[in-house]
Formats: sequence, C-alpha cells, structure tokens
Amino acid sequence: MERDKYIPDTFRILGKRGTRRIDGFRKASGTAVYTRDIILPGMLYAKWLTCPYPNAKIISLDTQRAEELPGVRAILRYDDPEVYGRRIPTLQGGEEDILAGYAYFQGQQVGAVVAADTEEIADEALKLLRVTWEKRPFILEAREALEPGAPLTRPEWRPKSNLMPLFFQPTDTFRFGDVEKGFKEADRIIEFKARRRYHGCSDAEPVSGITRWEGECAELWLHHQHPYEHKWMMNMWFGIPMSKVKINAPYNGAMFGGWNWIDYSMVPQYVSALLAKRTRKPVKWIFDRRDDFTFGSLDAMESEFKVGFKEDGTITAVKIKTYFENLSFEAGLHFVENTKIPNVESQTLVAQVNKGPVHAIRCEQLPPAFAAIHVFNHVAAELEMDPIQLALKNDGAEGEDIVKLEDFKRKHGFPLRDSLRECVEAGKKAIGWDEKWHAPGAHKLPNGKMHGMSFIWDHEWDDNRGAGAAGLMIQQDGSVSIIALRSDVGVNAESTYCQIVAEELGMRPEDVFLRQQDDVHLPLMTPDGSCNLTTNGYVMKKVAKRAKKKLLELATTTVHMIERDVPPAFPDMNPEDLDIKDSIIYVKKDPSIKKTVAEVVKDVKGSFMQKHEYGAIQNTTHEPIYAWAWHRQGRLGKEPGRQRLCRQAHFCEVEVDPETGEVEVTKVVNVNDVGKAMSPETVEGQQYGGTYMGIGRNRSEEYIWDPKTGVLLNGNLVDYKFASMRDVGPIETVIVETSLGLGPYGSVGIGEDVATDTTNLLQGAVYNAIGKWVDDGPITPKKVLEALGKA
Amino acid sequence: MKKFAHFNARSIDEAVSYLNRYGGKAHVIAGGTDLLGKMKDEILPKYPEALVNIRTIPGLEFVKEEGRALRLGALVRLEDIGKDAIVNKNYTALAEAARKTASPHIREMGTIGGNLCQDIRCWYYRNPHNRFPCLRKGGGRCYAIEGDNRYHSIFGGSVEEGCYAVHPSDTAPALIALNGRLKTSKRMLNAEDFFEVGVERTTVLDRDEIVTEIEIPTPEADTKSAFLKFAIRKSIDFPIVNCAAMITSKGGKVTDARICLNAVYVIPYRAKKAEEAILGKEISEKNAEAAGEAAVSDAKPLKDNRYMVQIARILVKRSILACK
Amino acid sequence: MKDSPNDKSRYLCPYCARVFDALEDLKTHVFAEHKDEPLRRPEGLIRLKINGEVHEVQVEPNWTLYQLIHDELGLTGAKMFCDRGACGSCTVIMEGRPILSCMTLAIECDGMEIETVEGIAAKEHPLIESYVKHHCMQCGYCTPGFVVTAKALLDRNPDPSEEEVKDALAGNLCRCGTYPQHPKAVLEAAQVLNARREVKNDA
Repeated sequence: MERDKYIPDTFRILGKRGTRRIDGFRKASGTAVYTRDIILPGMLYAKWLTCPYPNAKIISLDTQRAEELPGVRAILRYDDPEVYGRRIPTLQGGEEDILAGYAYFQGQQVGAVVAADTEEIADEALKLLRVTWEKRPFILEAREALEPGAPLTRPEWRPKSNLMPLFFQPTDTFRFGDVEKGFKEADRIIEFKARRRYHGCSDAEPVSGITRWEGECAELWLHHQHPYEHKWMMNMWFGIPMSKVKINAPYNGAMFGGWNWIDYSMVPQYVSALLAKRTRKPVKWIFDRRDDFTFGSLDAMESEFKVGFKEDGTITAVKIKTYFENLSFEAGLHFVENTKIPNVESQTLVAQVNKGPVHAIRCEQLPPAFAAIHVFNHVAAELEMDPIQLALKNDGAEGEDIVKLEDFKRKHGFPLRDSLRECVEAGKKAIGWDEKWHAPGAHKLPNGKMHGMSFIWDHEWDDNRGAGAAGLMIQQDGSVSIIALRSDVGVNAESTYCQIVAEELGMRPEDVFLRQQDDVHLPLMTPDGSCNLTTNGYVMKKVAKRAKKKLLELATTTVHMIERDVPPAFPDMNPEDLDIKDSIIYVKKDPSIKKTVAEVVKDVKGSFMQKHEYGAIQNTTHEPIYAWAWHRQGRLGKEPGRQRLCRQAHFCEVEVDPETGEVEVTKVVNVNDVGKAMSPETVEGQQYGGTYMGIGRNRSEEYIWDPKTGVLLNGNLVDYKFASMRDVGPIETVIVETSLGLGPYGSVGIGEDVATDTTNLLQGAVYNAIGKWVDDGPITPKKVLEALGKA
Repeated sequence: MKKFAHFNARSIDEAVSYLNRYGGKAHVIAGGTDLLGKMKDEILPKYPEALVNIRTIPGLEFVKEEGRALRLGALVRLEDIGKDAIVNKNYTALAEAARKTASPHIREMGTIGGNLCQDIRCWYYRNPHNRFPCLRKGGGRCYAIEGDNRYHSIFGGSVEEGCYAVHPSDTAPALIALNGRLKTSKRMLNAEDFFEVGVERTTVLDRDEIVTEIEIPTPEADTKSAFLKFAIRKSIDFPIVNCAAMITSKGGKVTDARICLNAVYVIPYRAKKAEEAILGKEISEKNAEAAGEAAVSDAKPLKDNRYMVQIARILVKRSILACK
Repeated sequence: MKDSPNDKSRYLCPYCARVFDALEDLKTHVFAEHKDEPLRRPEGLIRLKINGEVHEVQVEPNWTLYQLIHDELGLTGAKMFCDRGACGSCTVIMEGRPILSCMTLAIECDGMEIETVEGIAAKEHPLIESYVKHHCMQCGYCTPGFVVTAKALLDRNPDPSEEEVKDALAGNLCRCGTYPQHPKAVLEAAQVLNARREVKNDA
C-alpha cells in the first residue's frame, strides 16, 4: 500500500466548511425513510417468541390457539422440517441456528415465529403459545463459567466447556518480546485490576427488515450495514441467483457495528424470506425495543495487570490476563501498535455466559484501548508523572521508539511530523493543561467539589481495509450521478464522496449526487472499521478521473453518427488543452473560451424526430459519459511492516462531588490527527459525537441482570441510560492534519476511535480529583462513594 | 397495545360511574405517561378493560392563589407549575420539583395529580409480561430483596407486605414539605396521609375515587422552601434520592421545619428526626449536617444501596442550607 | 384501590352526562332537553387537524397517536426509538405543546390541532435550513423529534438563551451525539425569524 501520490497543494472544495450535506434536508424535514417506516401492501409482521429464562430448552410447544387467532397467517416452529436443527452460514464468519429450540440468554428469539396482519395480532398470538421449558442452571460471570465443574451455559453449542474459541486471535496468549526479562529491567512493578461491564444497545431504530418475493425474484429492505452481502446470502440460502435479488438500503437509525457483526443478525432476514414464501406476502420481521436488547459490546471484560517501568517512565513490560464475556479482542494490541514497550504478554480467556452475543460496538478496539489507557493512568500516577510526558516518552511502534516511525515516514514519502506531539500541544493549550493540572486529590473548588483532569492518547484508526466499486454517469443536464449501493449510518460519507468527485472532476458540489439506497449492483465499502472514506475515497478519485478523461474526449472529438457528424464543443483542441472548474469546461490558455458541462453533454436534436433540445431516446448522438472504478485498500487491520503514524489525544476536566459521588464532566478537548480533513464538520461530528457516546456509556450504561433469575432488568430506555444533552459539558474539537495517512490526500479514519477511547477518559480524571481509583466501568456515584469509603 | 374500551368523561360523576361499572377493571387516564408504559409492557396480572379519560372533564386545570392558599387543579401540567411565577415565588419547592421531573415533553403531558398517583418503578414490578409476580401484584414474594436492589428502599420494607420498591415522585415530597392537601371526589386528605402501600396501589384512593385538586397553605413570613434531586442523568431520569424542605427561621433560629425525602422508602419519607435536630438552631453547615445524620439514623440499607444513605444524608443537609 | 361498597348503578345522560337514579327520569330528561340534538358520533371516529389539513379517521382505542400519524396517515417523520416516552423522537406539537405521540392515545385527540415535522418543513421554517447548515444530524433518526421540539420552543419563546434551548431539548436523545450543534442551529433560526418579524413590522 502506498501513500496517495496525487495530493494537490490547494483544494477548491475539500477541507472547506459550509459544503451542504446531501442528506441534511431529507433528515431534518422527516422525509428520509428508514426500514421501520416502510409498510407495503399486504405486508405481514413477524415476531419471535422470546425465552423467559437465561438457559432453557423447549420441552413442548403448542401453537394451536395461536394459529386459530384471526389475522395469524403462519407460524414457524423450531421443529419445522425446513429449519429443525439447521444452522445457516452468515457473512460474519460463523453460523447460527435458524430457529433454535433452546436459549442461552433471557429474551433470546427462539422456538416460534408468528407472521400476522398486525404487530398487535402477532403479540397476541405469541401470548397464546403454550410452551413448557426445561430450565437449566445459568451463569452470568465469566470467571464462574470457567471454573472446573461449572454447568454448561450453551450445551448445544459448547458441549464440553464454557471456554470459547478465540475469534480474532490464534492463541489465547499473545506474546511480544519477553515480559519476564522486562520485569527484571524494571525499577518498579505495579499490579492492579480493572473492569468494564456489559453494555451495548446501539440502535436508535430497533432492528427490522422486509422480504418480498416477486415470482422467483426477491426484494429485501435492510436495516443493516452489509446490504449487498445479503444478495450473496440469499444465493447461499435459497439458491436464487444474485442477479435476481434486489436490495433496498434505506437510511439507518444509528448503526455502530454491533448488530451487523453478530452472526444472528442475518437470520431474521432468512426467516422473513421463508415466511414470505409460505404466505405469499411481504413479511417484515420486527424487534421491539425490548427485543433489541439482544446483543452487546465486546468489552465486557475483567483484566488483571502487572506493569514494569523505570523511574524515568519507560515502560518495560506489560502483562495482562483478561476474562471476557462471549467474545474478545486482543487487549495487548495497542501497546504494540503505538508504543515502544518492548515486552507484552496478554492472556485472553473468553467464557460463554448466559448473556446475549457481543461484538464491536464502536468499536472492537475497546479492549486494547481500555488496557492501554488503564496502564498509562496507573504508571503516571505511581510515578507522580505528568501523563502527557509519559505518553511522549513511550510513543513508538512495535517495541521501538519514534525513530522507527520516522524511518517509515522517510521511506514512504510522508512528511516528518510528530503526530503525538502536535496533538498534545494543541490539546494542552485548548484545555489549559499546564495551568490546571495538579496532583491527585489536591484541588478542591470553592463549590466544594474536587477538580480533576485526565489525558489519554492512542493511535488514530487507519485500518485501511476493504474494497469498493462505484460508477459515475454524467446525465444529459450535466448533473453527475455516483452509482453505488451503500448503507448510510449518518457519518456524512455520501456527501464527502460527492465532494471528492466534484473536486477531482471539476464540478460544483451541488452538481454531484449519490443516491445510495438503491440496488445499482455496485457496492461501496461498508461503513465498518473507520475506513470507508479511505477506501471509497480512492474509488471516487479513480472514477472521477476516468470520467473526466471521457468528458474531455467528448468535448474535443467529432462524433460520427448515422445521419450526421456532430462537431466537438471545443474544435481543434486536445483533451490536455482543457480543464474543468465549477462545472465549466474551459481552455487552459484562454479561460474565456468555455462551455458548461451541461452544454457539452447535452444531446442536441437527439430526440425521436422531435425538435426538443434534450434527447436520449431513439436518436441519441453520443454514448453516455459513464465510467466505473474498483479499489481495494488493504488487509484487515494492518499489514506487517505498515505503521500507524497518526495519533489522537483527549483531555477532560471533571468536578467530583465528594459527598454524593457525582462526576460532572465540565470540559472535554478532542484532538485528532486525521491526516487530511476532507469535511471538517464531519470530522467534528465524529469527535463530539464520539465523546458523548464514549463518556456517556462509561458513566451510565450497563445491562443489569437479576442475579437470581438471569432476567434482564433494564431492557428499556428509561432504565438503560444513554447520555442526554446536559450529561456532558462543553466539548472543544481540534483537528490536526499532518498528511500522515495512507488514505486519499493523506487521510485516516475517524468514525470510531473517539467513541472508543473516550470510553476510558474519566478514570484518570476521577483519580486526579479524589486520589482514588474507580476502575470499574460504568463509573457511577455508588462506586465513587465506595472508593471514598462513604458507602 | 392490547385492546381496551375507552371513555372520555365529561364530569367527575361520569368518570366515577364508569369506574364503578367496571369494578376495578377500569383505570383513570390523564397524561398517560405512566399508565401507557405499564400497558405496553403488560406488567400487571390483569390488563385494564377500560380507560376513563379525565382530561376531558372541565374545571380541573387551574392555578390560583386565594384565601391564603395555593389551589391547583389536579390536571395542571407539570411544565406549567414549573413555570408559574407565583408557585416559584411562594411555593418554591413545588416549582423546583415540577421542573426537575422527567423531561420537558413528559412535563407538557403529565399532570400534578398523575405525578402524585404514579406507580412504582421497581424493575421487578415493571418487567414486561408480569415476569415477576411480586408481592405488590398480589404474589408471594419480593424479588428485590435477593436481587439487584441498588435503587430500592433504605428504610426497610412496607410494614404489611414487605415490599421494598420506592415511591418515585418528585412532587410528592415537595407537597408534603409544603404541608399540602389533596381534595378528591370524596374527601380532603393531608398529603402525608395520601400515600399507602397495597397491591397495585400507591395511595389510599378508593377504586372509584379521583383526585381533583391540590391545596397548599401559603407559607408564613420568613419561610423558604427548596427541592433537590439526585439522579444519574440530568434529564429524563427518576430520582435516586430527592429531598424537599420548608423551613421557617425567626431571629436566626429555625422555628418550623418540614423535611421530606423520597425515592428512599416505600412512601415519601418525612425526616422527622432531621426536623427535630434543626429546630431551634440556626441554619449552618454544622447543624444541617447533624440534621442530615439524624435523617438517616434509622436507615436499614440493603446489600446494593448503602450509597443511597450517604446521598440522602447529604440532600437533607443541602436542602436545609438552601432554605437559609 | 381499596374495595368500596358497590354504588347503585346510576343512569348517565349520553348528551350532557347528568346523572339520574331512575331510568324513567333519564328518559323524561332526554326527551325534554335533547329532543333535537344529533346523535353522538360513533366511538372512535375522530376529527383532527394535522399540519392544517382536516382528517376524519376511525381509530381503535388502543392506537397511539404515533400509530395514527405514522402507520395510518403516512407521516413517517415522527420516529419510534424507545416507545416508552423516554427519548423525544416521536414528538409532535399539540395545543402548542411538544408532546410524545407514542404515549398519547389517538382517540383522545378528537378536535386537536397537531403539527408534525412535515408541516414545519412545508412552511419552510428556518429551523430546517439551520439544522442542515449546522450538521445537526448524523443518522437522522432523532432529528425530526429535535426539530419539532425546537419549533415548539420558538413558538413560545422567540428569543431563547442558550441555556433555555438546552433545557427545552433535554428530553431528546441522540445516540450519534449531535447535541452540541442543536443550540447553535436553534439560536440561528431564532435570529432569522426575528429578522423576518422586524422586516414585517417595518413594512
């Protein structure tokens, strides 16, 4: 993978503020359509029986009364021959039961699915089912599940033990260097524990989807980040050719990964397709808000740390042992990716517990960010060292200091800028770090609260992965269509793609449009991994360049048609004599010679024997200006030898009420080196938006199960608490642009990293405020009071 | 939601008539912000067969100060109470409590009567489809005792049933601190006597009895009132602990004190020991702190809610100080 | 509620709700007082004005206002997010108040005037444009709820402070975290409206 060679010195559109979002008006005016909004004629609603117990198996299921309820059109039972015992492959890399006769978490969708005329009738029918269950013992804690002799939490899947195979890593212990050697070299060694409890609930729009059969063709409406991939799955599942599957990707009400990566997320669509076949009606499968509490984030973890370091702050060894619930991600990763720490050992034990499946909810880097930030917090505190100095001291990669990064920059033609230092300097100034930072517990405010500050840092995500394809057509009126299918999650990607095309092609931004909801067969990179702008950006650059070439050729070439020759718009010119700016083609040597793109592409006298100016029916003069491009950006994660050069830093100020334990966040500063900000407002949206999610979720979000029955107690949005507007104080966002990214124009991603890192922003601030650690997220007043010995 | 019959009552008599006709299977609906949630989740063993809308009854939405008392129609919206100039000036605790309730939208819909009559929020009681048929629904046991009780009572369970679910209202303790009264279709009740624990019951109201008016005597001179709420989020949330106080000070010494905590016990908790502790003393940090200590001296926290004792202690102290 | 002795059934006049102890008395009253009055409309037939247009609809008692406007009338701007009154995404303006349509029964809205986000956009209210300009949306699912709530604020308080804007929007949840942008957009829309008013006043 090489650095973008075509970075202009100046931009007309990119990087400027005030470019209009193409989805803004539709979303503000309520005309944007989401899957939840769609009702088709004759459509049925499919809802699932959910298990009332955390670990149970169906002994008997009587559906008769439900079948007799007027308005019930079909009931799919788990023992139906078409689904009984069957697991279907899913694109997430695994497989799942289509409809199990057993459950491993309370509220799991199992046993029966009812398709009825209305949602109310479906609910009523579900209540008429007579089910008897064999209740089995359940376990909610990972450690308990891994004790010898522990009862099986998901026996049909894991008949031998509750230890789960690792998904993202080959062995359960990740080793880099030699930690024992590192501990011997250390001046001091500390040990501590930290925990983050199960949280999730990421969808604003509770999940649903629609399948409709039209003869042997299928049409799907998907609230899912991977719409195009569903075509492949329909082929796998039902044997219909992908060319006969039509996808609709309406707008999505908040999608942050999560659901889309759970194996189960494709299963309801399969079920709706099956029911749609049987009933010969469109079927909308639908989860209500409680049903939607069916998965969580993969940082439900408990870690034990042992860290060795020198008096000057050089960290020599990090050893971690982590218990995870249901899925893991390598907790030691960031030490290797963006520090010079030479010795890291991280053991991962994943236990199947009786809670819903987990996956990356903005994002899978939560465990390594959690680990790195906790380690740096504790080492800085132990040494009574400014955490910023500690960070700068340990910046680097793969066990070597930043000289290694400098070498990489030189070799690949990157500017020699120190991203962390630049981020840190900008952030310090913004928050007043030098004036305000103090020893832990040392600053009591006039209002009686304890003032605290924290600093965290990490690399800036630049997965640089994925592939995308798009077409581009210049319409007869000179407007440009980007032709691609993609699921929107609100990060203003579509607008940015239009801006890239406008920049490269020379159009005004308002003349370029992308309608990504429709199945035009060419799929752009999915909104995953904070890397779709880096991948799709290249697609846009390529396709715009190709289209520009064709456009300028048309402008300078005589078109020979059957009835006539059409002279070029710019006679006696070559394409290299022309350029395009603001949707106008002009002669470079004499810009006063110009024609609009619209004039050049317009098909004069082209219509069917009519004198209309606009043609394109039977008498078309020239072929459409159409180009397409495909781009693949790289391997999943990071290729060996490739370094992450960009950094991010976040600061916060808190006031902790020592009498009530309340933690008030009074200021946050985000600093992100995104390489190049193509759309500054969009970058900022990910900064403050990510902060609200990150800080919010580590203050008030956790799933709470009843310890005695394993029932989820807070499966609603009154008791599961997202941050509201006033729950985080003013946020200042700073964008640094070092051009150190491998993405287009030197950019890197921004979608997930702020939310991931700021999830751990408060721990250090609370310690700085009260001199006590609350390393158990979410940081509630209860835990703060307990740390202070007042509860 | 499951089906039900619906009636728009045009008078109290008509509403009472429907309630009697359905013999306990009908519910009054005003703002609907509590009831509809219960119905959507079908938390109760029996689903209402009918709803009687009392918002169509004229003459129950007014705010008047007359004859040395504030009179509020039971249907006055919480938002209007929170914004009312007279309520803010003379009955501050109530205005602050109304303003801190829930969210702006809920306050635009929710009525003072409904807020006082609202049902408990215990997450066992509220689990959908009556998953936990607890004491409060006529079942055999309390599930919070052995379960997660981080938001439950710190002063023990209700005397008869042994229920530990707290009363969640913000306006209730304010009304009690302000020595308010409720007028129903049958009688006049002191606010303190209004709350009672029973099966699916949080008040002493008969099945066919409706609150029509709230009355608060105008506080005497040299009296201040205050209300404080502690919750996880700054909006939307129910209180973890709240506290209202009304204190009269003459010559630098407290001559009358009414302090009421809520969300700490099965009904609003009049902190009598705190009142005794501050009577006759000046309002100072030290004295307020002692009163706070006295307020929780009878606390019997459960395994998960010790921290609420500390918060209750502090809110009592701070609400006294706010009345200086 | 506590058991109370069963009241004797009494007879309600269907026209004026006066109560009578005996059926004969009720009959006399009806013929005397309401002889020429039209019959009441069937239960569930409601007439309401939405965005200035009159709708006469037969509703079931168990329909929420959200179901009526979103599912039946196709006004899909209001969104289902929490369905329990805790997020503000289903907000509409009724009687000038921002209320939660998912926690309101349709059958109780007879005679009401309701404004939804579609009506606000149709009027080209400056909020729409300022929301777009300030990037107040990401996924967009909560956006209509914010717009409607903000509009209700500006209708009553044309010159709010930043704190007043935040207080008004405190009940609207956004998972994407667009919060910091909303006060900016609302204050700008307020300025635009005030400027228009001044122009009108001067004219």
